[in-house]
Amino acid sequence: MEQLAAALAAEEAAIYAYGLIGVHLKDNEQDRARAAEQEHRERRDLLVDRLDELKASAAPNPPGYALPFEVADRTSALRLAVHIEDGVAQAWRVVLPVTTDTERADALSAMTDSAIRATRWRKLGGITPLTMAFPGRAG
Amino acid sequence: MVLTDRVAIRETGHTRRRVLATAGAVAGATTLGGCFGDDPEPPPAPDALQPLLDEALTMAAAYERAVVAQPALADRLTPLAEDHRAHATELATMIGATLPSAVAAPSASGSATDGDSTADLRKAEQTAQKNAVAACRTAPAERAALVGSIAASRATHAEALR
Repeated sequence: MEQLAAALAAEEAAIYAYGLIGVHLKDNEQDRARAAEQEHRERRDLLVDRLDELKASAAPNPPGYALPFEVADRTSALRLAVHIEDGVAQAWRVVLPVTTDTERADALSAMTDSAIRATRWRKLGGITPLTMAFPGRAG
Repeated sequence: MVLTDRVAIRETGHTRRRVLATAGAVAGATTLGGCFGDDPEPPPAPDALQPLLDEALTMAAAYERAVVAQPALADRLTPLAEDHRAHATELATMIGATLPSAVAAPSASGSATDGDSTADLRKAEQTAQKNAVAACRTAPAERAALVGSIAASRATHAEALR
């Protein structure tokens, strides 16, 4: 299922990005970043299992992740965290129409968790507005 | 032939009376129907997403009242009200509903209360989120993404109000 493979790629990208983000943050923010990274790892593992069940071959990991901008300080680190969570929400949103029942509810949970984290990072970074009308919608 | 004619005449008499009675009844029904609109059909069952649309408008209005009562909260609350209005607009398009054209401007002088507190609003968002999650779960595929985004947006509102 290509939508799940794309969600997996987004989760992998998030795990990678949080590794770069944490060092630029304050102590309590680093805790949040670590917790976020852990949640992305758990989603990643679930996706790997699910794709395995579906006998779908997960797309091989890209050799590196192109960051949209350089992370040099706390401000850019928080901006990257927002960007990453928005991207994960977008990847999960396209899973909704191709799933039903529990599987759709799980995809919505993943999308919602990312949207909430994006709002938290915006709050910490003083980025407004804190919310979007349609999380997961590109653009 | 003669017999047939007499029967026909009698039948016609009956029929005419019945036609007149029926015509009266139809006229009455039409007049009665006119009170409720010209459509004689029973109204179609409301769309499954109508409650979500109503809730979006209710939430938007609650924020707008709170801003009138406490203008200092405008920067925080107005974007959230705008999100709900955007939800209502897209839901209305999706289900072919018409939004109320003019929303009465809330007035502080007319209300006895200070509007909902942010804690009340947060609680209302959490309930609204649950309703949207349930709606997303049962929505047909072509509606799942929009309803899912609305559920997620409501969740972020609760977070923004913390």
